Amino acid sequence: MKNKLILFLGLFVATSVVALAQDNISPARKQAIDSLALEKVKDLSKYIAIIGNKETQFSEANRVMDRAEELFAPGAEMGVSSINTNEIAYYKVRRYFERLMALNYDKVNITWYDIQYVSDLERQPDGRYVGVITVYQRFEGTSIETGMNYKDTTKKDITIYVEKKQTQIAGRTIEFWDVMLGDVRVTETSA
Amino acid sequence: MRKSVLIFVFFITNIFIVSGQGIGSPGTIKDDGRFAASTKQLNQFFRRFNGEESIDGNKRFYPKDSLFQNPNLRKGFISLLFDNETSGISPDLKNQFIESVASSNFPQFLIFHRTGWYAEVDAIFNYKGKREDVTFIMKIQPEGLGYEWVIDQVVFEPFKNLFNKPIGSEKDFLHPLSHELGFMNMRRAFQDSENPESFTPTSYSPDYLAIFLYEMKQNNLRFETVNGVKFHFFQIGGWYFEVNQFNRPGYNTGWLISNLVKLGPGDKETLLRYIYDQN
Repeated sequence: MKNKLILFLGLFVATSVVALAQDNISPARKQAIDSLALEKVKDLSKYIAIIGNKETQFSEANRVMDRAEELFAPGAEMGVSSINTNEIAYYKVRRYFERLMALNYDKVNITWYDIQYVSDLERQPDGRYVGVITVYQRFEGTSIETGMNYKDTTKKDITIYVEKKQTQIAGRTIEFWDVMLGDVRVTETSA
Repeated sequence: MRKSVLIFVFFITNIFIVSGQGIGSPGTIKDDGRFAASTKQLNQFFRRFNGEESIDGNKRFYPKDSLFQNPNLRKGFISLLFDNETSGISPDLKNQFIESVASSNFPQFLIFHRTGWYAEVDAIFNYKGKREDVTFIMKIQPEGLGYEWVIDQVVFEPFKNLFNKPIGSEKDFLHPLSHELGFMNMRRAFQDSENPESFTPTSYSPDYLAIFLYEMKQNNLRFETVNGVKFHFFQIGGWYFEVNQFNRPGYNTGWLISNLVKLGPGDKETLLRYIYDQN
């Protein structure tokens, strides 16, 4: 009886370890997820540049805002702070884009630095993984009427949620890793 | 000493000439090395401290990599993880710390999931119509399938004066034969006294977090914003250090060690009491 119990316990532990191991993300898998997440961040960067461009038509900007919003998990927010104040101002993603579109500059130029940092992925209580990607953005706005020229460089820390999902293709269940963007912390830098 | 200088110069040179892996689209701005050198996330602080990324920051090292947690790599990284502009930590103390942490016989590492590190978050709340500073002490704990940050303590000035237990002859009390009167004199504690805390045990200390949560549920407290974060580390045996974010021009930026203390017996408990505002 005792032996049977030990055997059962051993089998249970072994199964649990296998199950746990399946949920771990290998370095190779992590690299693939990083690339996928960076693609999404690249898309977001492209959309931000289009929305902020004064030459973009209103209807086109709205269409791009819709696309950009689709990159984010529901309820995601932008938390913005400046050099002068560390206090964070919160905006829903859509509101942030709308404010960007409404900026009173005749010419807006948004570019990105060739540097980024992708954190490790940590598992949260619901089983999804979470990570943060850091990128740097350069903003230049010129007003012809006042001759004002505004420049800033912001650090954007972008939350990514990584989740294993399933889909049916030709009757077969295929598993894949999906990435959604989450809250974004925008900090003005001294650069 | 000369060796440390050489390692430092080697690191600085390598970090500054990093090309980086940009988000890729044409027209990206080339980083002059400042953003590459910056410790951009606390996650990167952990990696650099433990020697788990390449000097140029382009590769995360795993146990199978030959340079994973390499002592010389760590020494170079840790020497760059100090705030060198404002904190005034002596070079001697830094060297003692680096030698102790990255020794080849008994190396010590930071472990994300282990206890012994805390976040201190400064926030602003609206309390009964007035903006008030609130400090939260937070820690990581396992929960469900992963981990979460939880509030371990709250420091809130308006609560501090709520409980000023008088001492000596000023302190009211329930006399030791109160039980013979069926505690009829409890009226003194709950009706006549302005300091009902006088009737609590010597060991009593108020649970400010419970009061804070209660006030939130009563809608007397409303969150406004966060305006600062720093981290306290006790994971390295015999040492305490504080990590702050430095947003300034130059190469010595990002998450850096702003305070370093070599701990003697009892110092850890004293510091923890200070951090938790329990003095």
